[in-house]
Amino acid sequence: MIVSQGPSLFTMSKNATFVPTLSRRACLAAGGAAVLTAVAMPHKAIAETALEPATAFIDKTAQSLMAAVNGSSPGAAKAAALEKIVEENVDIEAVARFCLGRFWRAATPAQQKDYLELFHRVLVSNITGRVGEYQGVTIVTNRGVAREDGVAVTTTVTRPNNAPNRVDWLVANETGQLRVIDVIAEGTSLRLTQRNDYMSFLSRNNNSVQALIDALRQQAAAPK
Amino acid sequence: MPDVLSRLAALQPLRAVGLVAALALLVLTGCATQPPASDADAVAEYRETNDPIEPTNRVFYAVNNGLDTVIIRPLATAYRYVLPQPVRNGVHNVLSNLGNPVQLFNDMLEAKPRRAGDTMMRLLVNTTVGVGGIFDVATDWGWPAHDSDGGMTLALWGLPDGPYLFLPILGPSGPRDATGFGIDYGLSPTTYIGRGPTVDALGYARTGLGALDARSAVLDDLDKITSQALDPYATIRSLYRQHRQSQIDDAVADNRATVPAWFPAPPAASTASGARIP
Repeated sequence: MIVSQGPSLFTMSKNATFVPTLSRRACLAAGGAAVLTAVAMPHKAIAETALEPATAFIDKTAQSLMAAVNGSSPGAAKAAALEKIVEENVDIEAVARFCLGRFWRAATPAQQKDYLELFHRVLVSNITGRVGEYQGVTIVTNRGVAREDGVAVTTTVTRPNNAPNRVDWLVANETGQLRVIDVIAEGTSLRLTQRNDYMSFLSRNNNSVQALIDALRQQAAAPK
Repeated sequence: MPDVLSRLAALQPLRAVGLVAALALLVLTGCATQPPASDADAVAEYRETNDPIEPTNRVFYAVNNGLDTVIIRPLATAYRYVLPQPVRNGVHNVLSNLGNPVQLFNDMLEAKPRRAGDTMMRLLVNTTVGVGGIFDVATDWGWPAHDSDGGMTLALWGLPDGPYLFLPILGPSGPRDATGFGIDYGLSPTTYIGRGPTVDALGYARTGLGALDARSAVLDDLDKITSQALDPYATIRSLYRQHRQSQIDDAVADNRATVPAWFPAPPAASTASGARIP
Protein backbone atom coordinates (compact mmCIF):
# COMPACT_ATOMS: atom_id res chain seq x y z
CA MET A 1 0.00 0.00 0.00
CA ILE A 2 2.81 2.34 0.88
CA VAL A 3 4.69 1.23 -2.21
CA SER A 4 1.76 2.22 -4.37
CA GLN A 5 2.03 5.72 -2.96
CA GLY A 6 5.54 6.03 -4.33
CA PRO A 7 4.84 6.78 -7.96
CA SER A 8 2.05 9.19 -7.05
CA LEU A 9 4.71 11.18 -5.27
CA PHE A 10 6.33 11.72 -8.59
CA THR A 11 3.31 12.33 -10.69
CA MET A 12 2.36 15.02 -8.25
CA SER A 13 5.83 16.45 -8.31
CA LYS A 14 6.64 18.69 -11.23
CA ASN A 15 10.26 17.87 -10.74
CA ALA A 16 11.56 15.86 -13.62
CA THR A 17 14.98 15.51 -11.98
CA PHE A 18 13.56 12.42 -10.33
CA VAL A 19 12.40 10.72 -13.48
CA PRO A 20 15.43 8.40 -13.62
CA THR A 21 14.89 7.49 -9.97
CA LEU A 22 11.24 6.81 -10.63
CA SER A 23 12.13 4.46 -13.44
CA ARG A 24 14.64 2.71 -11.24
CA ARG A 25 12.13 2.16 -8.52
CA ALA A 26 9.54 1.00 -11.02
CA CYS A 27 12.12 -1.45 -12.31
CA LEU A 28 12.87 -2.79 -8.85
CA ALA A 29 9.23 -3.22 -8.04
CA ALA A 30 8.32 -4.87 -11.30
CA GLY A 31 11.13 -7.38 -11.10
CA GLY A 32 13.70 -8.34 -13.69
CA ALA A 33 11.47 -10.19 -16.13
CA ALA A 34 8.84 -7.49 -16.31
CA VAL A 35 11.53 -4.90 -16.81
CA LEU A 36 12.93 -6.77 -19.80
CA THR A 37 9.55 -6.90 -21.50
CA ALA A 38 8.65 -3.35 -20.61
CA VAL A 39 11.77 -1.52 -21.63
CA ALA A 40 13.76 -3.81 -23.91
CA MET A 41 12.21 -2.35 -27.05
CA PRO A 42 13.12 1.32 -26.66
CA HIS A 43 16.36 0.59 -24.81
CA LYS A 44 18.55 -2.01 -26.41
CA ALA A 45 21.20 -1.64 -23.70
CA ILE A 46 19.54 -4.17 -21.42
CA ALA A 47 19.24 -6.92 -23.99
CA GLU A 48 22.89 -6.49 -24.83
CA THR A 49 24.14 -6.10 -21.30
CA ALA A 50 23.28 -9.16 -19.30
CA LEU A 51 23.53 -9.02 -15.55
CA GLU A 52 26.28 -11.56 -15.12
CA PRO A 53 28.95 -10.14 -17.45
CA ALA A 54 28.32 -6.67 -16.00
CA THR A 55 28.78 -7.93 -12.45
CA ALA A 56 31.93 -9.80 -13.43
CA PHE A 57 33.22 -6.69 -15.21
CA ILE A 58 32.73 -4.52 -12.13
CA ASP A 59 34.28 -7.16 -9.90
CA LYS A 60 37.36 -7.26 -12.13
CA THR A 61 37.54 -3.44 -12.27
CA ALA A 62 37.17 -3.26 -8.48
CA GLN A 63 40.03 -5.74 -8.03
CA SER A 64 42.33 -3.70 -10.27
CA LEU A 65 41.24 -0.48 -8.51
CA MET A 66 42.12 -1.92 -5.11
CA ALA A 67 45.43 -3.28 -6.43
CA ALA A 68 46.27 0.15 -7.88
CA VAL A 69 45.49 2.30 -4.83
CA ASN A 70 46.48 -0.04 -1.99
CA GLY A 71 49.97 -0.86 -3.20
CA SER A 72 53.18 0.51 -1.70
CA SER A 73 54.20 2.47 -4.82
CA PRO A 74 54.53 6.28 -4.58
CA GLY A 75 51.54 8.56 -5.15
CA ALA A 76 52.44 9.52 -8.72
CA ALA A 77 52.68 5.88 -9.80
CA LYS A 78 49.33 5.14 -8.16
CA ALA A 79 47.74 8.10 -9.93
CA ALA A 80 49.08 6.83 -13.26
CA ALA A 81 47.73 3.33 -12.61
CA LEU A 82 44.37 4.78 -11.61
CA GLU A 83 44.26 6.92 -14.74
CA LYS A 84 44.87 3.83 -16.88
CA ILE A 85 41.98 2.02 -15.18
CA VAL A 86 39.66 4.98 -15.71
CA GLU A 87 40.63 5.25 -19.39
CA GLU A 88 40.05 1.56 -19.98
CA ASN A 89 36.85 1.05 -18.04
CA VAL A 90 34.87 4.28 -18.17
CA ASP A 91 32.99 5.40 -21.29
CA ILE A 92 34.13 8.98 -20.77
CA GLU A 93 32.60 10.22 -24.03
CA ALA A 94 29.16 8.88 -23.09
CA VAL A 95 29.40 10.54 -19.67
CA ALA A 96 30.52 13.80 -21.26
CA ARG A 97 27.61 13.81 -23.70
CA PHE A 98 25.15 13.04 -20.93
CA CYS A 99 26.51 15.92 -18.85
CA LEU A 100 26.08 18.42 -21.69
CA GLY A 101 22.46 17.31 -22.16
CA ARG A 102 20.46 19.26 -24.74
CA PHE A 103 23.41 21.55 -25.43
CA TRP A 104 25.36 18.74 -27.09
CA ARG A 105 23.28 19.21 -30.23
CA ALA A 106 23.57 22.99 -30.01
CA ALA A 107 27.36 22.85 -29.95
CA THR A 108 29.42 23.16 -33.14
CA PRO A 109 31.60 20.14 -34.08
CA ALA A 110 34.67 22.10 -33.01
CA GLN A 111 33.06 22.89 -29.65
CA GLN A 112 32.07 19.25 -29.20
CA LYS A 113 35.66 18.21 -29.77
CA ASP A 114 37.03 20.82 -27.35
CA TYR A 115 34.42 19.94 -24.78
CA LEU A 116 35.12 16.18 -24.95
CA GLU A 117 38.84 16.70 -24.58
CA LEU A 118 38.50 19.09 -21.65
CA PHE A 119 35.86 16.99 -19.93
CA HIS A 120 38.18 14.03 -20.21
CA ARG A 121 41.09 15.91 -18.65
CA VAL A 122 39.03 17.40 -15.81
CA LEU A 123 37.39 14.07 -14.97
CA VAL A 124 40.66 12.16 -14.90
CA SER A 125 42.44 14.79 -12.83
CA ASN A 126 39.53 14.99 -10.38
CA ILE A 127 39.72 11.24 -9.85
CA THR A 128 43.47 10.83 -9.74
CA GLY A 129 43.86 13.95 -7.58
CA ARG A 130 42.13 12.09 -4.76
CA VAL A 131 44.23 8.95 -4.99
CA GLY A 132 45.67 9.46 -1.49
CA GLU A 133 42.20 9.22 0.04
CA TYR A 134 41.55 5.80 -1.41
CA GLN A 135 44.35 4.18 0.61
CA GLY A 136 43.05 1.08 2.40
CA VAL A 137 39.78 0.93 0.48
CA THR A 138 37.97 -2.37 0.06
CA ILE A 139 35.27 -2.96 -2.54
CA VAL A 140 32.89 -5.91 -2.33
CA THR A 141 30.79 -6.56 -5.42
CA ASN A 142 27.23 -7.60 -4.68
CA ARG A 143 24.75 -8.02 -7.51
CA GLY A 144 23.53 -6.40 -10.68
CA VAL A 145 20.07 -4.96 -11.30
CA ALA A 146 18.74 -4.16 -14.76
CA ARG A 147 17.91 -0.52 -15.40
CA GLU A 148 16.59 1.06 -18.55
CA ASP A 149 19.97 2.60 -19.29
CA GLY A 150 22.15 -0.40 -18.42
CA VAL A 151 22.95 -2.62 -15.47
CA ALA A 152 23.52 -1.14 -12.03
CA VAL A 153 26.05 -3.26 -10.14
CA THR A 154 25.90 -2.69 -6.39
CA THR A 155 29.12 -2.68 -4.38
CA THR A 156 29.97 -1.98 -0.78
CA VAL A 157 32.92 0.35 -0.48
CA THR A 158 34.67 0.58 2.88
CA ARG A 159 37.36 3.09 3.72
CA PRO A 160 39.29 3.03 7.00
CA ASN A 161 37.45 4.95 9.77
CA ASN A 162 34.36 5.32 7.61
CA ALA A 163 31.03 3.53 7.62
CA PRO A 164 30.60 1.25 4.60
CA ASN A 165 29.11 3.07 1.62
CA ARG A 166 26.81 1.69 -1.02
CA VAL A 167 28.15 2.49 -4.46
CA ASP A 168 26.33 1.45 -7.63
CA TRP A 169 28.19 1.30 -10.93
CA LEU A 170 26.05 1.77 -14.01
CA VAL A 171 27.38 -0.40 -16.83
CA ALA A 172 26.44 -0.18 -20.52
CA ASN A 173 27.99 -1.49 -23.71
CA GLU A 174 27.16 1.12 -26.30
CA THR A 175 30.68 0.94 -27.72
CA GLY A 176 30.54 -2.86 -28.00
CA GLN A 177 32.47 -3.27 -24.77
CA LEU A 178 31.28 -3.08 -21.18
CA ARG A 179 31.98 0.35 -19.79
CA VAL A 180 31.02 2.29 -16.67
CA ILE A 181 28.75 5.21 -17.55
CA ASP A 182 27.80 6.38 -14.06
CA VAL A 183 28.78 5.98 -10.42
CA ILE A 184 25.96 6.31 -7.90
CA ALA A 185 27.34 6.86 -4.40
CA GLU A 186 24.75 6.48 -1.64
CA GLY A 187 21.98 7.28 -4.09
CA THR A 188 23.63 10.31 -5.67
CA SER A 189 24.52 9.96 -9.32
CA LEU A 190 27.81 11.59 -10.23
CA ARG A 191 26.85 12.24 -13.84
CA LEU A 192 23.44 13.68 -12.93
CA THR A 193 25.05 15.98 -10.36
CA GLN A 194 27.60 17.05 -12.95
CA ARG A 195 24.89 17.67 -15.54
CA ASN A 196 22.90 19.81 -13.11
CA ASP A 197 26.06 21.78 -12.38
CA TYR A 198 26.70 22.41 -16.09
CA MET A 199 23.05 23.20 -16.85
CA SER A 200 22.95 25.80 -14.10
CA PHE A 201 26.24 27.29 -15.24
CA LEU A 202 24.94 27.49 -18.82
CA SER A 203 21.65 29.12 -17.83
CA ARG A 204 23.61 31.78 -15.94
CA ASN A 205 25.90 32.34 -18.91
CA ASN A 206 23.37 32.95 -21.70
CA ASN A 207 23.35 29.24 -22.61
CA SER A 208 26.76 29.71 -24.17
CA VAL A 209 28.57 26.41 -24.67
CA GLN A 210 31.73 28.42 -25.33
CA ALA A 211 31.54 29.90 -21.82
CA LEU A 212 31.36 26.38 -20.40
CA ILE A 213 34.33 25.29 -22.48
CA ASP A 214 36.31 28.31 -21.25
CA ALA A 215 35.45 27.49 -17.65
CA LEU A 216 36.48 23.87 -18.14
CA ARG A 217 39.73 25.04 -19.71
CA GLN A 218 40.43 27.03 -16.55
CA GLN A 219 39.63 24.00 -14.41
CA ALA A 220 41.90 21.79 -16.47
CA ALA A 221 44.74 24.30 -16.18
CA ALA A 222 44.30 24.88 -12.44
CA PRO A 223 46.87 23.12 -10.26
CA LYS A 224 45.36 20.30 -8.22
CA MET B 1 5.52 40.67 18.49
CA PRO B 2 8.10 40.73 21.34
CA ASP B 3 6.15 37.83 22.83
CA VAL B 4 6.57 35.82 19.64
CA LEU B 5 10.25 36.63 19.53
CA SER B 6 10.83 35.61 23.13
CA ARG B 7 9.06 32.35 22.45
CA LEU B 8 11.26 31.84 19.44
CA ALA B 9 14.30 32.60 21.53
CA ALA B 10 13.21 29.94 23.99
CA LEU B 11 13.66 27.42 21.21
CA GLN B 12 17.14 26.26 20.55
CA PRO B 13 18.94 29.36 19.28
CA LEU B 14 19.99 28.19 15.82
CA ARG B 15 16.51 27.00 15.07
CA ALA B 16 15.06 30.32 16.22
CA VAL B 17 17.38 32.21 13.90
CA GLY B 18 16.36 29.87 11.12
CA LEU B 19 12.67 30.50 11.70
CA VAL B 20 13.03 34.27 11.87
CA ALA B 21 15.06 34.27 8.69
CA ALA B 22 12.57 31.97 7.00
CA LEU B 23 9.90 34.55 7.72
CA ALA B 24 12.15 37.22 6.28
CA LEU B 25 12.56 35.03 3.23
CA LEU B 26 8.84 35.18 2.59
CA VAL B 27 9.00 38.97 2.68
CA LEU B 28 12.08 39.34 0.51
CA THR B 29 11.13 36.79 -2.10
CA GLY B 30 12.76 37.42 -5.42
CA CYS B 31 11.70 35.26 -8.33
CA ALA B 32 13.66 33.50 -11.01
CA THR B 33 12.83 34.62 -14.53
CA GLN B 34 10.83 31.98 -16.29
CA PRO B 35 12.11 31.24 -19.81
CA PRO B 36 9.80 32.16 -22.74
CA ALA B 37 7.19 29.51 -23.60
CA SER B 38 8.63 29.25 -27.12
CA ASP B 39 11.78 27.58 -25.79
CA ALA B 40 10.34 24.19 -24.80
CA ASP B 41 13.64 22.70 -23.61
CA ALA B 42 14.38 25.66 -21.40
CA VAL B 43 10.88 25.57 -19.91
CA ALA B 44 11.22 21.84 -19.19
CA GLU B 45 14.53 22.52 -17.50
CA TYR B 46 13.04 25.36 -15.45
CA ARG B 47 10.29 23.02 -14.23
CA GLU B 48 12.77 20.25 -13.53
CA THR B 49 14.96 22.53 -11.47
CA ASN B 50 11.88 23.64 -9.51
CA ASP B 51 13.66 26.54 -7.87
CA PRO B 52 11.31 29.50 -8.47
CA ILE B 53 12.88 31.73 -5.83
CA GLU B 54 16.42 30.93 -6.89
CA PRO B 55 17.73 34.53 -6.53
CA THR B 56 16.58 34.65 -2.89
CA ASN B 57 17.92 31.17 -2.25
CA ARG B 58 21.27 32.23 -3.65
CA VAL B 59 21.39 35.18 -1.25
CA PHE B 60 20.91 32.88 1.72
CA TYR B 61 23.38 30.44 0.24
CA ALA B 62 25.94 33.24 0.14
CA VAL B 63 25.10 34.28 3.72
CA ASN B 64 25.46 30.70 4.93
CA ASN B 65 28.71 30.35 3.06
CA GLY B 66 30.02 33.48 4.76
CA LEU B 67 29.04 32.20 8.20
CA ASP B 68 30.56 28.86 7.34
CA THR B 69 33.85 30.37 6.24
CA VAL B 70 34.34 32.56 9.30
CA ILE B 71 32.73 30.47 12.06
CA ILE B 72 31.51 26.96 11.40
CA ARG B 73 34.23 25.58 9.17
CA PRO B 74 37.14 26.77 11.37
CA LEU B 75 35.40 25.36 14.45
CA ALA B 76 34.72 22.05 12.73
CA THR B 77 38.32 21.89 11.56
CA ALA B 78 39.53 22.55 15.11
CA TYR B 79 37.08 19.96 16.44
CA ARG B 80 38.45 17.35 14.08
CA TYR B 81 42.03 18.38 14.84
CA VAL B 82 41.71 18.37 18.64
CA LEU B 83 39.59 15.29 19.25
CA PRO B 84 40.72 11.83 18.13
CA GLN B 85 38.47 9.80 15.87
CA PRO B 86 37.16 7.42 18.62
CA VAL B 87 36.00 10.40 20.73
CA ARG B 88 34.28 12.01 17.74
CA ASN B 89 32.64 8.67 16.98
CA GLY B 90 31.39 8.54 20.56
CA VAL B 91 29.97 12.07 20.31
CA HIS B 92 28.29 11.17 17.04
CA ASN B 93 26.81 8.03 18.58
CA VAL B 94 25.46 9.89 21.62
CA LEU B 95 23.85 12.53 19.38
CA SER B 96 22.21 9.99 17.11
CA ASN B 97 21.01 8.01 20.14
CA LEU B 98 19.35 11.20 21.44
CA GLY B 99 17.57 11.39 18.10
CA ASN B 100 16.21 7.85 18.36
CA PRO B 101 12.87 8.72 20.04
CA VAL B 102 11.97 11.10 17.19
CA GLN B 103 13.13 8.50 14.69
CA LEU B 104 10.99 5.87 16.39
CA PHE B 105 7.90 8.07 16.07
CA ASN B 106 8.65 8.62 12.40
CA ASP B 107 9.24 4.92 11.72
CA MET B 108 5.82 4.24 13.19
CA LEU B 109 4.17 7.08 11.28
CA GLU B 110 5.76 5.69 8.13
CA ALA B 111 4.13 2.31 8.92
CA LYS B 112 7.50 0.56 8.91
CA PRO B 113 7.29 -1.85 11.87
CA ARG B 114 10.69 -3.49 11.36
CA ARG B 115 12.37 -0.11 11.13
CA ALA B 116 10.57 0.96 14.30
CA GLY B 117 11.77 -2.26 15.96
CA ASP B 118 15.35 -1.55 14.89
CA THR B 119 15.17 1.97 16.30
CA MET B 120 13.55 0.77 19.54
CA MET B 121 16.28 -1.83 20.07
CA ARG B 122 18.98 0.68 19.17
CA LEU B 123 17.62 3.06 21.79
CA LEU B 124 17.39 0.36 24.47
CA VAL B 125 20.67 -1.41 23.75
CA ASN B 126 22.85 1.62 23.06
CA THR B 127 21.53 3.58 26.04
CA THR B 128 22.28 0.71 28.43
CA VAL B 129 24.99 -1.61 27.09
CA GLY B 130 26.37 1.20 24.94
CA VAL B 131 26.85 3.43 28.03
CA GLY B 132 24.44 6.27 27.33
CA GLY B 133 24.82 5.87 23.60
CA ILE B 134 28.60 6.32 23.40
CA PHE B 135 29.09 2.90 21.80
CA ASP B 136 26.94 1.68 18.95
CA VAL B 137 26.55 -1.92 20.14
CA ALA B 138 23.19 -2.38 18.44
CA THR B 139 24.64 -2.32 14.91
CA ASP B 140 26.86 -5.31 15.74
CA TRP B 141 23.92 -7.07 17.32
CA GLY B 142 21.83 -6.85 14.16
CA TRP B 143 19.92 -3.60 14.56
CA PRO B 144 21.63 -1.28 12.07
CA ALA B 145 20.93 2.46 11.83
CA HIS B 146 18.74 3.92 9.11
CA ASP B 147 17.47 7.39 8.22
CA SER B 148 14.01 8.50 9.23
CA ASP B 149 12.63 11.98 9.84
CA GLY B 150 9.53 14.11 9.49
CA GLY B 151 10.25 15.06 5.88
CA MET B 152 10.57 11.39 4.92
CA THR B 153 7.35 10.58 6.74
CA LEU B 154 5.49 13.24 4.76
CA ALA B 155 7.07 11.89 1.56
CA LEU B 156 5.85 8.38 2.35
CA TRP B 157 2.42 9.84 2.92
CA GLY B 158 2.53 11.07 -0.67
CA LEU B 159 3.58 14.70 -0.26
CA PRO B 160 5.83 16.02 -3.05
CA ASP B 161 9.02 17.82 -2.08
CA GLY B 162 7.94 21.14 -3.58
CA PRO B 163 10.14 24.02 -4.70
CA TYR B 164 13.69 24.23 -3.46
CA LEU B 165 14.39 26.38 -0.42
CA PHE B 166 17.79 27.29 0.88
CA LEU B 167 17.18 28.22 4.50
CA PRO B 168 19.53 30.35 6.58
CA ILE B 169 21.63 28.21 8.96
CA LEU B 170 19.62 25.08 8.14
CA GLY B 171 20.69 24.98 4.50
CA PRO B 172 19.05 23.03 1.66
CA SER B 173 15.37 22.25 2.21
CA GLY B 174 11.89 22.62 0.78
CA PRO B 175 8.34 23.08 2.08
CA ARG B 176 7.97 19.37 2.82
CA ASP B 177 11.30 18.93 4.56
CA ALA B 178 10.99 22.21 6.46
CA THR B 179 7.57 21.09 7.70
CA GLY B 180 9.09 17.75 8.63
CA PHE B 181 11.75 19.59 10.60
CA GLY B 182 8.99 21.30 12.58
CA ILE B 183 7.21 17.99 13.13
CA ASP B 184 10.42 16.47 14.47
CA TYR B 185 10.79 19.36 16.87
CA GLY B 186 7.25 18.74 18.11
CA LEU B 187 7.85 14.99 18.40
CA SER B 188 11.05 15.34 20.38
CA PRO B 189 10.62 14.54 24.08
CA THR B 190 13.36 17.05 24.89
CA THR B 191 11.06 19.82 23.66
CA TYR B 192 8.79 19.17 26.62
CA ILE B 193 11.21 18.75 29.51
CA GLY B 194 11.33 21.68 31.91
CA ARG B 195 13.09 24.96 31.38
CA GLY B 196 16.01 26.10 33.46
CA PRO B 197 19.68 26.99 33.18
CA THR B 198 20.82 23.35 33.12
CA VAL B 199 18.28 22.23 30.54
CA ASP B 200 19.08 25.26 28.38
CA ALA B 201 22.80 24.63 28.63
CA LEU B 202 22.35 20.99 27.66
CA GLY B 203 20.17 22.07 24.74
CA TYR B 204 22.82 24.54 23.52
CA ALA B 205 25.52 21.91 23.93
CA ARG B 206 23.53 19.40 21.93
CA THR B 207 22.82 21.88 19.12
CA GLY B 208 26.42 23.08 19.04
CA LEU B 209 27.92 19.60 19.10
CA GLY B 210 25.41 18.51 16.48
CA ALA B 211 26.56 21.29 14.16
CA LEU B 212 30.25 20.45 14.76
CA ASP B 213 29.63 16.75 14.28
CA ALA B 214 27.70 17.24 11.05
CA ARG B 215 30.08 19.84 9.62
CA SER B 216 33.30 18.00 10.52
CA ALA B 217 31.99 14.85 8.82
CA VAL B 218 31.76 16.63 5.46
CA LEU B 219 34.82 18.91 5.66
CA ASP B 220 36.69 17.28 2.79
CA ASP B 221 33.65 16.52 0.67
CA LEU B 222 32.28 20.05 0.83
CA ASP B 223 35.69 21.52 0.06
CA LYS B 224 35.84 19.30 -2.99
CA ILE B 225 32.38 20.34 -4.14
CA THR B 226 33.11 24.03 -3.85
CA SER B 227 36.44 23.70 -5.63
CA GLN B 228 35.35 21.34 -8.42
CA ALA B 229 31.85 22.56 -9.24
CA LEU B 230 31.29 25.37 -11.72
CA ASP B 231 28.18 26.33 -9.76
CA PRO B 232 28.39 24.96 -6.18
CA TYR B 233 24.87 26.22 -5.39
CA ALA B 234 23.36 24.09 -8.18
CA THR B 235 25.56 21.13 -7.29
CA ILE B 236 24.44 21.20 -3.66
CA ARG B 237 20.82 21.54 -4.78
CA SER B 238 21.21 18.47 -6.97
CA LEU B 239 23.02 16.45 -4.30
CA TYR B 240 20.49 17.37 -1.64
CA ARG B 241 17.54 16.28 -3.74
CA GLN B 242 19.15 13.04 -4.86
CA HIS B 243 20.18 12.23 -1.31
CA ARG B 244 16.68 12.83 0.04
CA GLN B 245 15.17 10.75 -2.73
CA SER B 246 17.53 7.88 -2.01
CA GLN B 247 16.64 7.99 1.71
CA ILE B 248 12.95 7.89 0.77
CA ASP B 249 13.51 5.08 -1.75
CA ASP B 250 15.27 3.04 0.92
CA ALA B 251 12.37 3.50 3.33
CA VAL B 252 9.80 2.59 0.67
CA ALA B 253 11.77 -0.51 -0.33
CA ASP B 254 12.18 -1.72 3.27
CA ASN B 255 9.28 -4.15 3.52
CA ARG B 256 10.81 -6.78 5.76
CA ALA B 257 8.31 -9.19 7.24
CA THR B 258 7.12 -8.58 10.76
CA VAL B 259 6.83 -12.28 11.61
CA PRO B 260 9.53 -13.16 14.15
CA ALA B 261 12.10 -15.74 13.08
CA TRP B 262 10.89 -18.30 15.65
CA PHE B 263 7.21 -18.06 14.67
CA PRO B 264 6.00 -21.26 12.94
CA ALA B 265 4.88 -19.56 9.74
CA PRO B 266 3.60 -21.64 6.81
CA PRO B 267 6.61 -22.58 4.62
CA ALA B 268 5.37 -20.89 1.45
CA ALA B 269 4.61 -17.60 3.17
CA SER B 270 7.86 -17.63 5.08
CA THR B 271 10.04 -18.06 1.99
CA ALA B 272 8.11 -15.42 0.12
CA SER B 273 8.47 -12.93 2.92
CA GLY B 274 12.07 -13.84 3.61
CA ALA B 275 11.51 -14.75 7.26
CA ARG B 276 14.14 -17.01 8.74
CA ILE B 277 13.25 -20.38 10.18
CA PRO B 278 15.71 -21.86 12.68
